[in-house]
Amino acid sequence: MLKVVNLCKEFEKTVKTGRKTKKQEFLAVDHVCLEAKRGEIIGVLGPNGAGKTTLLRMLGNLMTPTEGEIHLYDKEEKEIEDIIKRKEAIGYLSGNTKLYPRFSIREYLTFLGQVYKMEQQEIEKRIEELVSMFSMEEFVDNRIDKLSTGQTQRASICRCLMSDPDLYILDEPTLGLDILSADTIINFMLEQKKAGKTILYSTHYLEEAEAICDRIYMICQGKIVAQGSPSYLMEATNSETLRTAFRRIYGKAMENN
Amino acid sequence: MNNNKSLLKILFLKEIRDILRDKKTLVIMVLVPLLLYPAMIIGITLILSQMENRQMENTYQVSYQAKDESIVSKLRDSYEEIKEEEELSLQFLPGEQEEREGGVTLEISEEKETPEMVLSYNATNQDSVTAHSQLKKVVEHYKEKALEKRLEDEGLAKDFLTPFVIQSKNEATDTETMGFSIGGSLGMLLITTIMMGAFYPTVDVLTGEKERGTLETLLTLPVSNFQMILSKFLAVSLFACASAVLSILSIGGSLGFLLNSVEKMYEGETLGIDFSSFFSFLPILLIVVIITALLLTAVSMCFCIFAKSFKEANNYFTPVMLIIMFASMASLLPSVELGGKTALIPIVNVSLLLKAVMAQNLSYTLAMITIVVNFVYSILIVWVLAKIYCSENVLFQDGFQSFTLFEKRSDIKRGTIPKTGDLILAAAVLLLLILYSGIGIGVRSQMAGAVVNQCMILGMPLLLIWYMKLDMKKIFSCNKPAKKKMLAAVLLYVGIFCLTMILSAFLMKWMPESTGNMETAYEELLTYPMVLLLTVAALMPAIGEELFFRGLLFGSWKLRLGPVKAMLLSSLIFGAFHMSLVKFLPTALLGLCFSYITWKSGSIYPGMVLHFINNLFSFFTMKYSEEIAKLLPILTKTELAVGETVVLIMIGAVCVVLGVLFLEGQKKQRL
Repeated sequence: MLKVVNLCKEFEKTVKTGRKTKKQEFLAVDHVCLEAKRGEIIGVLGPNGAGKTTLLRMLGNLMTPTEGEIHLYDKEEKEIEDIIKRKEAIGYLSGNTKLYPRFSIREYLTFLGQVYKMEQQEIEKRIEELVSMFSMEEFVDNRIDKLSTGQTQRASICRCLMSDPDLYILDEPTLGLDILSADTIINFMLEQKKAGKTILYSTHYLEEAEAICDRIYMICQGKIVAQGSPSYLMEATNSETLRTAFRRIYGKAMENN
Repeated sequence: MNNNKSLLKILFLKEIRDILRDKKTLVIMVLVPLLLYPAMIIGITLILSQMENRQMENTYQVSYQAKDESIVSKLRDSYEEIKEEEELSLQFLPGEQEEREGGVTLEISEEKETPEMVLSYNATNQDSVTAHSQLKKVVEHYKEKALEKRLEDEGLAKDFLTPFVIQSKNEATDTETMGFSIGGSLGMLLITTIMMGAFYPTVDVLTGEKERGTLETLLTLPVSNFQMILSKFLAVSLFACASAVLSILSIGGSLGFLLNSVEKMYEGETLGIDFSSFFSFLPILLIVVIITALLLTAVSMCFCIFAKSFKEANNYFTPVMLIIMFASMASLLPSVELGGKTALIPIVNVSLLLKAVMAQNLSYTLAMITIVVNFVYSILIVWVLAKIYCSENVLFQDGFQSFTLFEKRSDIKRGTIPKTGDLILAAAVLLLLILYSGIGIGVRSQMAGAVVNQCMILGMPLLLIWYMKLDMKKIFSCNKPAKKKMLAAVLLYVGIFCLTMILSAFLMKWMPESTGNMETAYEELLTYPMVLLLTVAALMPAIGEELFFRGLLFGSWKLRLGPVKAMLLSSLIFGAFHMSLVKFLPTALLGLCFSYITWKSGSIYPGMVLHFINNLFSFFTMKYSEEIAKLLPILTKTELAVGETVVLIMIGAVCVVLGVLFLEGQKKQRL
């Protein structure tokens, strides 16, 4: 589905040496290789500023990598080259992908359906499906700026689902949600996995990752420091929970630096 | 293609809906033109008419001081005679006036042989001013009568003192006169309205997308940047047009309403203004509005694209707004008319065009040029915007990373290649400097203007070389040229020169307005000594322009965008720098030729030499036009015969093909 080879992204930062400030290049994403297969949930974990968002942005075609290759394959395992076609195949969600506040959810989803070149009937059918899936009957016709956080997040998930993409890239989708709303989103991910979709997602909630991820990539300062299934990572670090494994892996990574 | 079109429509409709739901923007766009303009126009007229009414009803006091009351009584008689006709209302009272404000004082002294009348009034008080003017009419009438009486006493005829009668006659019709006086301010009003109508929706649609955090969402859609920008551009332009049309309607409507009521008041008397003649200009007015809306939308988008918030957008746009308003006032300047040069300056040309439309002396060629020029500017800006919009620097960081120039010099590494942002900024600044120095210095002394211009063109690349620590060899191609290629370069240049001659002749035939008289234009310049002339007119441009256009622009773009794009871009800018519609294409072609030579020979020097020869050549044809006309008449002709054209095309084509072949072929041998 997705194969990433030696992906790099260079940024500039200001460094102070003595009295002088100087600009210096650094790699926010440093030679990252990863792979995601059909029907997998992949977790991307790491502390703040590790480069998770930059990595996911590049995978979502919002940023161009400084170096490296991203290969995306369709259902027939043919590579998709065209950037527009790539975007069609990806559902991208992050804390920064907000919805137009002056539209109602129904209007917004209709607009999306048109952009994805769906037929009018298809659009209406899809919206009804999504509305019942996320029980949004009560507020589907409200303007988005009038919705609560949980309602908005459900609407955002619907945005990704509208075009029925093959690959979901979700940047901290459960951030700041109550347990019930978070459960809706986790259930959605598990259901999509069943439907053979691939999900790549970053989170800070390790219990959640432990429960649903098939494989996990841990990133520190742009580099992948550990990868494998949650059980493998716990075994390798001799920990009982992913939380402890996380602490041990990062403790070691920081020491090495 | 069909899919793309419908996608554009979907995006466009989304933008329209989004703008329409923003109440604040709507208020500015709809309520302001619909309510404010009529309120202003009608309000001001009401105040003026009230003032007039009061003046008509008021009786003004004339306090007089005179030893001999007989003069006063004669004045009174005069007043009685003309008060009906002139609508005067005065009251003559003896003694000093206590409250001097509202009236006028008349002092009559008869100490000298000729009696003296002093009319004292207060110029800051409207009543006093009116009283003064009324009294003056009375006094003048009295003077006339006294004169008549004297003539009669002497036995002379009444017209003894009037050997002839002077009458002034306005050749323009009342309609034209009114159009002229309205036309001056129409441009400013309209351009300001369109600017407001364009700016607020632009902020909403571009900056708002960042502010509300919906930009990243938009980028996940399977839509190209060009479609995104174009849909936004079209939606905002539509609103800018709508607000302009609304203001025209509301201004026109309230003026019409006023004039209608005035005509009713003075029944039977018409104002002599034929409104139907203005209606025939409505189509062109509409086109002008649309084209201005396109341009101003593009300009505001330029600035809003970098802004992260409404406040930032406002900060960036305020200076631009002032410049636009200043440019829109061009029509208020008395001697500035729409011509070959002014038609090329955006905003200014619109403002002048509107003035010409209203005064009904519009040239349709110039109108076409204005429309095309503004349209081309808009398209160019939108194209550049679409390029910028995909730059993640603009999207996720501050936009200034598109410029290396804004970095500290110590941060810039040796051997950097200037970014497109730097190059466009350098070209724009240089163009503005040349324009301003043209106004400031060039008008006074052509020589000084030319020297300053050439120094600036030379100085800009040198400044960048120093500041950005540019590599002279890599970017500016300061290498030894291959000797074998010199001949090919000369061949190519000769071919291109023949082609430019045909092109110039063709363009001059189509756009005679923008040619101007070359010989008289440079008359002052030709009085200077030969060595100085050749340095300024041939040598300095050859070095400076080659360094800037072929060195900096072509050289940097070649490394960033590839040689073909670099050739096209740098030549277009080279053409634009000559600021003349007729010269644009021929110069661009010449630029293409020089940059090709620089590219293929790997050196800037052959281009410099050929540029120098070219300048020398055009300088001599200008200075010794008569002698050259005898020797080689084809060089000075403005119109070419069919046979000559064919021969020139043949020679040109053969030389170009051979030149290109040699330049290309020798490179292959080397490889």
